[in-house]
Amino acid sequence: MQTKDLGRPLSRAVTFFYFSAFMLLFLRDFRWQGLALAFAVPMLNVATIHILPKLFPSDKLLLSLTNFLCALGILVLYDTNPTYAYSQALYYFVGLIAMVICIYVVRLIRSFRMLVWPMMAVSLGLLVLPLLIGQETYGATNWFYIGGISVQPSEIVKLCLVIVISRFMADRRFLPWLVFAVGCLGLLMLQKDLGTALLYYGTTLLLYYASSGSLWITGLGLAGGAGAAMLGYHMFAHVKRRVAIWQNPWSDYDNAGYQIIHSLMAIASGGLFGVGLGLGSPRTIPVYHTDFIFAVICEQFGLIFGMCVLLMYVAIIWRGATTAMAARTSFHGLMAMGCTVMLGLQTFVIIGGVLKLIPLTGVTMPFVSYGGTSLVSSLCLIGLLQGVASLNEDDLLEDTRLANYISE
Amino acid sequence: MKQQRFRFKILALLLFSLFILLSLYGLYSINTYGNRWFAYARNPRIREQKQSVIAGDIYDRSGVVLASTVDGVRTYQPSEEARRAIVHLLGDDEGQVSNGVEGFQTAYLYGFRASLAERINSLFSGEPRRGDNVTLTIDSKLCTAITRYFSSRSLSRGKNGAAVVMNYKTGELIAMVSLSSFDPMDTSSVTAESEVYWNRATQSLYPPGSTFKIITTIAALDNIENIASRQIICTGSLEVQGQAIRDFGNAVHNSLTLKNAFVRSCNNAYAMLALTMKDAALRRTAESFGFNDNFLFRDLVVENSAYPTGTQNEFQVAMSGFGQSSIGVTPLHMCLVGSAIANDGIMMEPALLRQVTSVGGSIRMQFEPRVYRQATTAANAAILQDYMKAVVSSGTGTRARTAGLTICGKTGSAESSRNNRAVTHGWFVGYCANDELPFAVAIIVEDIADGEGGGSTAAPIAGDIFTYLRDNRDLVTQ
Repeated sequence: MQTKDLGRPLSRAVTFFYFSAFMLLFLRDFRWQGLALAFAVPMLNVATIHILPKLFPSDKLLLSLTNFLCALGILVLYDTNPTYAYSQALYYFVGLIAMVICIYVVRLIRSFRMLVWPMMAVSLGLLVLPLLIGQETYGATNWFYIGGISVQPSEIVKLCLVIVISRFMADRRFLPWLVFAVGCLGLLMLQKDLGTALLYYGTTLLLYYASSGSLWITGLGLAGGAGAAMLGYHMFAHVKRRVAIWQNPWSDYDNAGYQIIHSLMAIASGGLFGVGLGLGSPRTIPVYHTDFIFAVICEQFGLIFGMCVLLMYVAIIWRGATTAMAARTSFHGLMAMGCTVMLGLQTFVIIGGVLKLIPLTGVTMPFVSYGGTSLVSSLCLIGLLQGVASLNEDDLLEDTRLANYISE
Repeated sequence: MKQQRFRFKILALLLFSLFILLSLYGLYSINTYGNRWFAYARNPRIREQKQSVIAGDIYDRSGVVLASTVDGVRTYQPSEEARRAIVHLLGDDEGQVSNGVEGFQTAYLYGFRASLAERINSLFSGEPRRGDNVTLTIDSKLCTAITRYFSSRSLSRGKNGAAVVMNYKTGELIAMVSLSSFDPMDTSSVTAESEVYWNRATQSLYPPGSTFKIITTIAALDNIENIASRQIICTGSLEVQGQAIRDFGNAVHNSLTLKNAFVRSCNNAYAMLALTMKDAALRRTAESFGFNDNFLFRDLVVENSAYPTGTQNEFQVAMSGFGQSSIGVTPLHMCLVGSAIANDGIMMEPALLRQVTSVGGSIRMQFEPRVYRQATTAANAAILQDYMKAVVSSGTGTRARTAGLTICGKTGSAESSRNNRAVTHGWFVGYCANDELPFAVAIIVEDIADGEGGGSTAAPIAGDIFTYLRDNRDLVTQ
């Protein structure tokens, strides 16, 4: 129980940190929007921490961590490009509502058995859409416009994937989830969205291991994935190029290596303690608002702060895994773990790419990167987690009540 | 369920370890490469800082001003000859020379290392901020003298080349010169891609030729039993895989000891040594001298030297024995090899910064000698010291002799091809064995005339340098 008590002090720290940070930026250029954000962002944090626990049992620590990361994204975006920050703040609000909806969905619909089939159909349909009406950016055709806003279906399907495979794995039905996962992977390959494909693959494989415990078949899946990666490397020129850039970006400064070199220069310029909020040249980093936002954070706040951000994700994984382990049904456990693995892998893949530990794949940094669909879907994943956590808490209370009843 | 819970724990641990890997890698790479990434000439932050911060001055070891900012303009020494002699080492304001002091030490020169208090102080004083002043280990007079030595002799006059002088006990670089050169204050006549910007001492990989026999000899001492007391037969031509290996000037040495083979620089003998001990043994010794290592020296960026890592055929192995095949080495690294022999097997890390001080006078950084690696044993080094002494007293390197000093060295004539033409470079790697003048040199003269070798082209320049060091003892050892 002690860990949950950390939630409130952390939340207060988050409120204070962002209020002062946004005020600092406001004092720089006196834009009223800065002042508005200085109040709005900490307010959203305070509101979630105070209101949600009244509606259902909530993990306040998990909420504070999520709020911290979302607000960090808005802060850095406001410093680099305010227009991005306004829409990100809006999506943060939308995402919080979506999170609450997800929590209620998990609390009210316990089994999902009736829902998984339509979910599968809708998911596959959504993934086909970009191929028909999509737009290409950075080599991948993974989003489309609808009513003036851009939508990245793979972010929405993420949620369905976790729910669907958890349901079937918990029911020990092998074929449906396999067909669904392979179908999703195939469509992602066609969209050339290899980063997201990697996430789907990793999450499915790890969840399979957790549900079955069969190291043999998991190993087989791993070998299959490695084989597919090798095949992809030899078949697609752009994959080969990505790997070559990763190995030596300096050989082709002006073209292929440009992005990663600027990322590394930014991180190196920040050093351990950073150049300070609002300083430095973060806008010279290509795609600073999505893929390379971690480089911006490292330049301004320093590598040590960057490591602390990583620690936040580690704490989220810890809360997620604890929730999964406390779950009463196999399905809820797998779902909680699925959300955790999805978020953890995604963070590793993008930050590993920014630091040049692994080749860069264009996935977003959960909660922080600019992008409405991505932010909302990450918050929905947290919603599913919170939903399971609240059910666990309910069950625990029920247990105590029953125990008292019997002892009387 | 219980098992599933256990497996969740494993997955969580797996994710944790990924994040630990990420953090460790991040810290490691910033610690190791941070300054190199930051100082990259195209870092836009440096350009920005140049608008608001006045760059610090650069001095040589005796206080000569090498670079300073006068009314916002970067100025170098008044004499054009002196500017040209030191430009590769110093770098230039426009960043044409990569990784000169001007570029690689940006963090100091432009005040990126200033403390918070200093930054705030300058913010309120309203005066423009000044970067740190950097004092180098270099003797600029010697650098200028070396360019004169090159042009004073007919065999090296007008030739491209490089020379490196280093204190082998401390690692301080005393001189580093690359020819051809240019004037940093007038680049109008130089084209953008010109090779005059190239620092040959640190960026050019040359075949080491016979100077590599230093390493082959060490490898032979380690890998072939009693080699120092055995006789090697040289018939003047050795047939390997249908190709003949001949000696310089088609000499026939008949029966030789290892020492004689070294002193007379017999290629046949060294080809046989390489074939006897095999490629792997020779590579191991080369790697203990720093070949194939990723040089990450603190003060300067040096191209990594290469000893072939793939399988070599017999002929290539034989050629490796006397530094041909595809071995590549920079003059600076060859100077380190000579230094390691002189310093009883211990290779010091080459250093360029003697001291860095802030405008306020506080010392930001002070030179301290650091060992780069133990290249070989003191016993092996002693044998090589004896051999290299004989090279200068009675072998191919007699022209490096300097009155009053004990000079040791090894000559080399390295063949390479340039623009489909075979060219020969003259090498001399050596040092002064006198305790009070612990200096090693490496000199290369490019594209020398037919029939000439390192002994007639590079060794005389070494002699000139040692004479200078002898006559300016106080200056270079203070």
